[in-house]
Amino acid sequence: MIDKVRQLVVDLLDSGRADAVLALANVHANVQPYLYKKGDSLDSLALWPKYSMGPILKSIQAAQPDMKLAVVARGCDDRALVELAKRGQIDLNNVQIIGLACTADEATECECANPYPANIDVGNKVDGVASTDLLAELKGKSYDDRLIFWKQAFDKCIKCYGCRNACPLCICEECILEDDSWVKAGEIPPPFPIFHLIRAYHLSDKCVECGECQNSCPMDIPLTSLYALIRNEFNELFDYIPGAEIDRKSPLVTSLEEDPIREETA
Amino acid sequence: MSNNGFQPKLLAFCCNWCSYAGADLAGVSRLQMPHNLRVIRVMCSGRVSPEWVIKALSSGMDGVMVLGCHIGDCHYIDGNHRTKKRFAILAKLLGTMGINPNRLYLDWVSASEGVKFQDVVIKFVDRIKELGPTPIGAYQGVKVDR
Amino acid sequence: MNCDFVLTTCPYCGCGCNFYLQVIDGKAVGVVPCKTHPVSKGTLCIKGWNAHQFVHDEKRLTKPLIKKSGRFEEVSWDEALDYTAKRMLEIKEKTGPDSFGFLSSAKCTNEENYLLMKLSRGVMGTNNVDHCARL
Repeated sequence: MIDKVRQLVVDLLDSGRADAVLALANVHANVQPYLYKKGDSLDSLALWPKYSMGPILKSIQAAQPDMKLAVVARGCDDRALVELAKRGQIDLNNVQIIGLACTADEATECECANPYPANIDVGNKVDGVASTDLLAELKGKSYDDRLIFWKQAFDKCIKCYGCRNACPLCICEECILEDDSWVKAGEIPPPFPIFHLIRAYHLSDKCVECGECQNSCPMDIPLTSLYALIRNEFNELFDYIPGAEIDRKSPLVTSLEEDPIREETA
Repeated sequence: MSNNGFQPKLLAFCCNWCSYAGADLAGVSRLQMPHNLRVIRVMCSGRVSPEWVIKALSSGMDGVMVLGCHIGDCHYIDGNHRTKKRFAILAKLLGTMGINPNRLYLDWVSASEGVKFQDVVIKFVDRIKELGPTPIGAYQGVKVDR
Repeated sequence: MNCDFVLTTCPYCGCGCNFYLQVIDGKAVGVVPCKTHPVSKGTLCIKGWNAHQFVHDEKRLTKPLIKKSGRFEEVSWDEALDYTAKRMLEIKEKTGPDSFGFLSSAKCTNEENYLLMKLSRGVMGTNNVDHCARL
């Protein structure tokens, strides 16, 4: 699999179809994002563990907008790139996506339901993780029990803002969660449930299930489960998967005629 | 928990063009209503950020109403379309987090519907009395002055 | 355009979390936690997440300053070091080594911190040495 990625990267760089390729590299036994250019050795190329490519691509484009870029993108990266482009954060016209399907093991580790990009260049499509024990448990809980569950989970929060920083779709220039009138500076844990509910609402039409929030959480709060539930709810209401269709706007910014609500609320 | 004597504290966001006028009509028509409601006038129900509702609920409000123009009658054409969508997902989010979504109520009240305003307020107060005080106010260390 | 990721250890405390400083054309623009590092495993606290911010901060001191008649004035390194050495010896003479306290910084290297400890204990003769990252 990795040899095929290498070949694609070399082809893009040698033919001049890309000035640089954003991928991962294994440098001194640590895996890091790496911007490969023509002539670079591709021996170091790595695929796992995944890093979120969207924000890195955004920062590169901000520095040099006309650069012809290619990016090795997994399913979540692919969706994040689409969603970022839709929201004017990046320009995909100059970007070629090398679609990489995750292996079954990788999908299991991420608890990912859609572990493949829209166009697969490397790897084989495997079934995602449809549900987990925790998701089933949470769905079965009463409102009061859920509140207790999340209260206990978020009590551990040290307000590192890691979930927000790592999230490829947290794109507000000024974050409401840094505003003293919503979240007081210098107090942990942050106010429950304001902090996490506001983030959840902001991400409800953006979350591309990359799992970076949970991966970056030092306190192991089960954020991917929270966002899996939210994505399901959103999809049930609007038949919408963030990052799936580049031409479709978020239903939250369209009228009811353009995008009706599927299920009436109680 | 006994809810005997529990007087909920409720917040209503009313749009300037329809619901606030509807509330006004209910007032001048001397329709009797429970006094549990505080009204905040906004220019459009589409102006009500879900963040405000979250903040209200966790600041000790036991329930939040958002009232706007009927769909199709919005002063800003489709402001209330967004309201409807936002609050549909917000209700789901509240439920996911463990807050009963019945604490949130979205309805349309036109300027001529003073009686409907009275009706939805009475029903909402009853509904919240049934549900009891908000469970999340306590988590904020909020002392609610009832 | 160059975009490099430089692996470094968080300067703020003794935990030793590692992250990459994202460097675009010589300027540190962001932090990416290192997922393969055995200590931090891709997580950071709020200090680590913002560790790139002070690097290019305009308010960083780049030249020595001495307060003369109530105002800080820029001076040469020689003058600053001579003045500091002179005053330190004077004070040590007058009130003893324990009238000093040495406070070191997490934003310095290990070696620099070691040297400050040596200065404190070996030269001045006091154990009053501490570090902002002594958690």
